[in-house]
Amino acid sequence: MDTTRRGFLGTIGKVTIGAAASVAGASRSATAATQSGAADRSVAHWGMVVDLRKCIGCQACTVACIMENDVPEDAFRTHVSVYELVKDGQDPAMVMLPRLCNHCDDPPCLPVCPVEATFKAENGEVLVDASKCVGCAYCVQACPYDARFINHETQVADKCTFCFHRTQAGLLPACVETCVGGARNFGDLNDPESEVSRMLRENEVSVLRPEMHTNPNVYYIGLDDVLDGRIAGDAAYTPPVETAHRAIHEEGA
Amino acid sequence: MGYQVQELVGTVHEAAWLPWAVQYFFLIAVSATALLLALPGFVLGREGALPASRLALMVAVTTGITAPIALLADLHQPFRFWEFFIYTHRTSWMAWGAWVVPSYVALTLGFAWAVHRPAFFQMGQDNWRFAWLFRLLSLGGSGNAFAPLIGIGAGLTALGILTYTGMEVMIVRARPLWNTPFLPLQFAATGAVGALGVMLVLERSLCRDGNLEAALNRRLAIALGLVSVLGGLWFALALSGLSPRHSEALASVAGFPTWQKIAAWGALSIVVPFVIALVLPRRSGWVTGLIAIHAAWMFRWTVFMGGQAVPKVGSGLYDALMPTGLSGLMGVIGTFGLWLFLLIAYTTFVPWTLAGRPDNTRTATGPARSI
Repeated sequence: MDTTRRGFLGTIGKVTIGAAASVAGASRSATAATQSGAADRSVAHWGMVVDLRKCIGCQACTVACIMENDVPEDAFRTHVSVYELVKDGQDPAMVMLPRLCNHCDDPPCLPVCPVEATFKAENGEVLVDASKCVGCAYCVQACPYDARFINHETQVADKCTFCFHRTQAGLLPACVETCVGGARNFGDLNDPESEVSRMLRENEVSVLRPEMHTNPNVYYIGLDDVLDGRIAGDAAYTPPVETAHRAIHEEGA
Repeated sequence: MGYQVQELVGTVHEAAWLPWAVQYFFLIAVSATALLLALPGFVLGREGALPASRLALMVAVTTGITAPIALLADLHQPFRFWEFFIYTHRTSWMAWGAWVVPSYVALTLGFAWAVHRPAFFQMGQDNWRFAWLFRLLSLGGSGNAFAPLIGIGAGLTALGILTYTGMEVMIVRARPLWNTPFLPLQFAATGAVGALGVMLVLERSLCRDGNLEAALNRRLAIALGLVSVLGGLWFALALSGLSPRHSEALASVAGFPTWQKIAAWGALSIVVPFVIALVLPRRSGWVTGLIAIHAAWMFRWTVFMGGQAVPKVGSGLYDALMPTGLSGLMGVIGTFGLWLFLLIAYTTFVPWTLAGRPDNTRTATGPARSI
């Protein structure tokens, strides 16, 4: 079982040790960068399986990621969206949806980068070479998951790295390590014996925005179809203009 | 199955392309289309087109210089701009744009220099304080038969600008509002509207030639008509379902009252100047020109800032208000301020009224400037 620290340390021996981490991702190296780790089955291909039945929306993963990766105050590399879902007039249900970079096998953020700062690492992580990024934010626009942002402290594109610096040292990503209910599971999708492979075999899984054909490496168990794309509902936050309009409207009424 | 969803915890994503981007896409589209409007007089050599071509070249040069500065400001690491030329990523439209933009600006400046070279030479022959500067500027000669060649090169790069700016935004599948095949055409058509709007305002400020005003208003009506046709087709494709991408784009914003108001406002800013330009082509240049500039700028604001306010995965809309500070309002004012400064400098130091058809047999016939 590779979602535990011990199991994970066992699999790490199979991977090539790559480049050292940097603030927004990792510096590229000749050994670490390939087109896609999925092509070579002997190399680990990291993926995450999120079991939504176990997520309690505690945001421990959100906090752990911020602490681990020094994420600035106004941004998130991962967080848990929470929705109230009413189906066919039944009692409302609270639904949690952890969001992060999907480390797609066909990442739309990669071809648009004008200076090749975004790249796919050997184990499938989509990373940003912070020393090369010009901060044009084209990748931020291209990401269909809103998983990227401009870090206002480093002024470069920033995103989840699957905790590259930790996995290179044989550790689990911080969000997985800290997940209270065991909802987040991380491991080698190329290894049929891994826990994530077993979960994919034994459960019906979904991905976010399947219509984008990005081949994501983050899978969800128990994801309602209504939540796999843009959520057509009321937002938790209403912009000031809308609030003002609403207030005027209500006052008038 | 009926669903009701209420987001309880979510994140707000700020716009990653700031109002600087709106300024860049506005100014570069105005510049490129104005450059194309300058070609009839200075490349095809049509005498009757010269008054409009002079204004068009002035617009192309001044906006062409200002636009890349706004673009540079939108980079979060502006001092790494040189990396565009070291690590060109061939799959990125932006990477190609990094080559097209300087080529366009260089050729446009070269074209303007070639067109004005005879007048520069003439001013260098006069006895006045800055004659030495104009002797330097003319490079010791007045021939400019090569100007049409540079103009054709500039025209081709202008087409390159319109292509790359449109494609760069259009290929972003993650944003339905951008990912419509019509967008590059709409950028080009509204760019022409903006360019003609600026030319009309300059005509009213500098020339006050009723015939030129009427001619520009007729062209503006054609450009506005084209924008209307494109807009109508956009809606028709979206509503009919013939184009799923257009349908998705419309569906992404249609339910929001703010967007309904924006659509109505946008339609008005196209229809009103169109009608005025047709009914009253003379003495309406200020009105039609200013509304046309507004329409071209607003289109880009709506596409970029409004488009970024549509969440990709979250609910509702994010903020699309003009932020204050250097990355917002001050940036917009500063960019327009720089453009205004360049317009003043151009009309003050460049003998633009003397620009004629390129001719290598030109000889000095009299002082170009009263001393």
